[in-house]
Amino acid sequence: MEKNDDAFRKRLLATFRNEAAEHVQALSSGLIALEKTAAPEERQGIVETVFRETHSLKGAARAVGKGEIETLCQSMESFFSLLKQGKASLSAGQFDLLNEAVDVLSALLGSVEDAPTKAQLAAVRELRQRLSGNGSRNTEAPAPVVRNDIPPDSQAPPSASPPEDTAGVATGPTMGKALPDPPPLRGGDTVRVPVARLDAILFQSESLLAAKLTAHQRVMDIRAAQSGVIALARQRARIAPEARALLRRLERGEQRGEAGNRRKGDTRLRRLLEYLQQEDDFIKTHAMRLETLAKAAEHDWRSLGSTADGLLDDVKMALMLPISSIAEVLPKFVRDGSRSQGKDVDFRIRGAETEIDRRILEDLRDPLIHLVRNSLDHGIEKPETRLAAGKPRRGLIELSASQIEGGRIEIVIADDGAGIPLDKVRDVAHRLQLAPPSGNGDAGSTALDDAACLELIFQSGVSTSPIVTDLSGRGLGLTIVREKVERLGGSVSVGASPAGGTRFRLVLPLTLATFRGVHVRCGEREFIFPSAHLTQVARVARQAIATVENRETIPLNGQALSLARLAQVLGIPADKAQARTESVQLVVAGTAENRIAFQVDEVLGEQEVLVKGLGRQLRRVRNIAGATVLGNGRVVPILHVPDLLKSARHAAPSPEPTTDADAARKSLLVAEDSITSRLLLKGILEAAGYNVKTAVDGLDAYTQLRTEPFDLLVSDVDMPRMNGFDLTAKVRADKALADLPVVLVTALSSRADLERGAEAGANAYIVKGSFDQSNLLTAIRRLL
Amino acid sequence: MSREKAAAPRRSIDWSDVHRRLEQVRHAVENDGTPDAQETARILAARAQALATPKLAESDGETIDVIEFLLSGERYGMGFAYVREVFPLLDLTRLPCTPPFVLGIVNVRGEIVSVVDLRKFFDLPENGLGDLNKVIVLHSTAMTFGILADSVAGVRTVPRSELQPSLPTLTGLRERYLLGVTGDPMVILDAAKLLADPRLVIDESVAP
Repeated sequence: MEKNDDAFRKRLLATFRNEAAEHVQALSSGLIALEKTAAPEERQGIVETVFRETHSLKGAARAVGKGEIETLCQSMESFFSLLKQGKASLSAGQFDLLNEAVDVLSALLGSVEDAPTKAQLAAVRELRQRLSGNGSRNTEAPAPVVRNDIPPDSQAPPSASPPEDTAGVATGPTMGKALPDPPPLRGGDTVRVPVARLDAILFQSESLLAAKLTAHQRVMDIRAAQSGVIALARQRARIAPEARALLRRLERGEQRGEAGNRRKGDTRLRRLLEYLQQEDDFIKTHAMRLETLAKAAEHDWRSLGSTADGLLDDVKMALMLPISSIAEVLPKFVRDGSRSQGKDVDFRIRGAETEIDRRILEDLRDPLIHLVRNSLDHGIEKPETRLAAGKPRRGLIELSASQIEGGRIEIVIADDGAGIPLDKVRDVAHRLQLAPPSGNGDAGSTALDDAACLELIFQSGVSTSPIVTDLSGRGLGLTIVREKVERLGGSVSVGASPAGGTRFRLVLPLTLATFRGVHVRCGEREFIFPSAHLTQVARVARQAIATVENRETIPLNGQALSLARLAQVLGIPADKAQARTESVQLVVAGTAENRIAFQVDEVLGEQEVLVKGLGRQLRRVRNIAGATVLGNGRVVPILHVPDLLKSARHAAPSPEPTTDADAARKSLLVAEDSITSRLLLKGILEAAGYNVKTAVDGLDAYTQLRTEPFDLLVSDVDMPRMNGFDLTAKVRADKALADLPVVLVTALSSRADLERGAEAGANAYIVKGSFDQSNLLTAIRRLL
Repeated sequence: MSREKAAAPRRSIDWSDVHRRLEQVRHAVENDGTPDAQETARILAARAQALATPKLAESDGETIDVIEFLLSGERYGMGFAYVREVFPLLDLTRLPCTPPFVLGIVNVRGEIVSVVDLRKFFDLPENGLGDLNKVIVLHSTAMTFGILADSVAGVRTVPRSELQPSLPTLTGLRERYLLGVTGDPMVILDAAKLLADPRLVIDESVAP
């Protein structure tokens, strides 16, 4: 029983803490607003709000038996009530006092589970005394408390008051009017839902997206099967007239009653032709059924798609929060910070109502606080310095949020301070050996231009602050800001603000987890570029590639862009056949001043992707941000564009890979069912200078051999569908392939197996257990 | 054999036995093949008795259950408690910018799992061309990855007392993860140590 009570009290306190935190936040924002506002009517409104918040907090504290919070609120409330009646005024000192009271309230709430410490109680006592000292007629306090108890009653009448009581109806509205802004209804048309539950719903909705992608893949698969049947039907249509003619001739012959020894053969031919006609009907019927099936699948895909998308959008909307929910801690933060540094700073928020995914918002809290702190600490000068520079005494930090094109959010934090001292950054950069000294201006070393210099401030260890304070100066903050923002799929840049100070610009996606990506192929590998990081996808003539200062560039929209080969940046083999084409496929990534054109082998399309982590072992892989599962179940890595941009700049400039010997290459087919062995064999043979294609089993290999010329076949023996012996036998029986050299690679090493291989017609037999790549290569060289 | 048995009762027909057996069959058919409560209790009790008997009664000491697999022609074992699942490797996506021992990633029912080639991690000479088409997914509370095996033989129980400390042929990195060697011989690796090893964890970003 005692345990239950204890648990109940804990739950109660947790609820109280959440509710109280909101009141304190509102109180704090109200005080900041009050300090900034001069217009009496507006002030009156704000006083009313903070008064009400204090009162609600007091009531909540009383309900859970937190006496110290209740009494402090009581004193504050009395003070506000005097203010409301115009019986008190607000000086800077009083604002400080009220802010102090808010701080104490926050501290008390922070340790709400425990009894207040002696120091806290002393602080409460002291504050209460000071608060009552400020208002001369403290005894009048209870009066407004009674008045403010009215709102709950004014909401009650519809059900509580009897309908015939017209007097009550008349007084209700007037009482409501007495309060300028009725408090927002709690529990009316809004519901509190635990975040964990919302996240679970979001996760489920996102899984529907995978179902949608799979449904699309099914449609494609059915369409592919359909086109096969259509091609068959077309071939049939070509021979159909001949078959018909043949059948007619037979019939005529029969009518003429021709007798002869060919009679028996004719019957067989007739049966065959009749069967062909039946088959024709059969094919037509099935082509039609496939069409119906494809249409139905398409319909299912579309309806599932729109439901899934709609649901996901709605769930995401439910998870959106206005920027203000994290930005509202900032005004007080700026106020306190500027006071302690002897600065005078005004803080403004614009676009606070802009909404963004809660998960992004949470990760954004620290970066925003850091950037504001940065402006406060490094940007805004002391009042005397500002006056001397002809600036207004009061500095300004402004945070503005707005939605920009492409479903993204832009957050700008600008100040009218001194700006970033570029020469100091250069000096620090030089000291840390990140850049050549600023004085060294000979033509070869491109001394840091301003933009590159500004970029340096995001690097670890670069700080221009001569002293490390508890606020900043360690030179780590901006590095962390960038890392965090990039992890969210966003970017951060810095520049000079129009007012002469510093301007940080954050661009972030509206929502997490799903985004559009451009699917590219590079050699045999496939990757996804997040569309948000791309500015353009283009195809340009190979001749347009120019080399400037040992780096390849390509003109695009009248600008020369650095060119990097994705395969080279990632250190993977590129498609050699691609080097002979006349044009190159480019994907331009990065932001305005920092763009690089990545050359890929093929752009496969743009699609919606669901980001997944790489598993627990691969916490962070260079150049790779995650992976996605396509509709057909294949896993494709998602590229990490900020990493790629850096890698591309590090990569040694190198010319196009030479392709001269390429034409003379022999092409081999490797048939092997084990994916690892397949990759190994392919690797060995490609390293030896052959063009290699692969097949997953005997049947696949046979189909490929029939459609494409190969110089040699390397095949495993033990494979599903068609094994190596059968494949070899089939190759030997095929007129076109009879002379193809066949090398069998197998785990079977008995004499009988060897003989069976020879019987089937294999030219060489290599045993896996004693496999050695030189054996294989010698055997192949001998046969080619 | 069966003909002899069938022929036996023909010599002197024991009708009461026939009736008894017919009755039994009728009973079984009527109960849809389900044994009655008494019979069920007896079977279950016998089963419980059988299951309760320790498998290795003769060695009183501790035992460990290991999954036995083949890798490069050698037999290995690994604590079964750390094995989440085993599946054939059908598709694999290779990842650039990872060390050679990371073979790639696979999709396991929507979850991405990385696959490690222990031969490369242990620096074993790669003699022979293995099948390497089985993935054994190892997991602990903080780590999950798959290791490749040529084939999986099954699960067996090994008494700890039978384990020898090492073999002269076991060298290098492999020895660090060695739990012991059985007489057959099977090299038993310490899955917990492997799962907790930071050397297997990739955490790199491009330097600015």
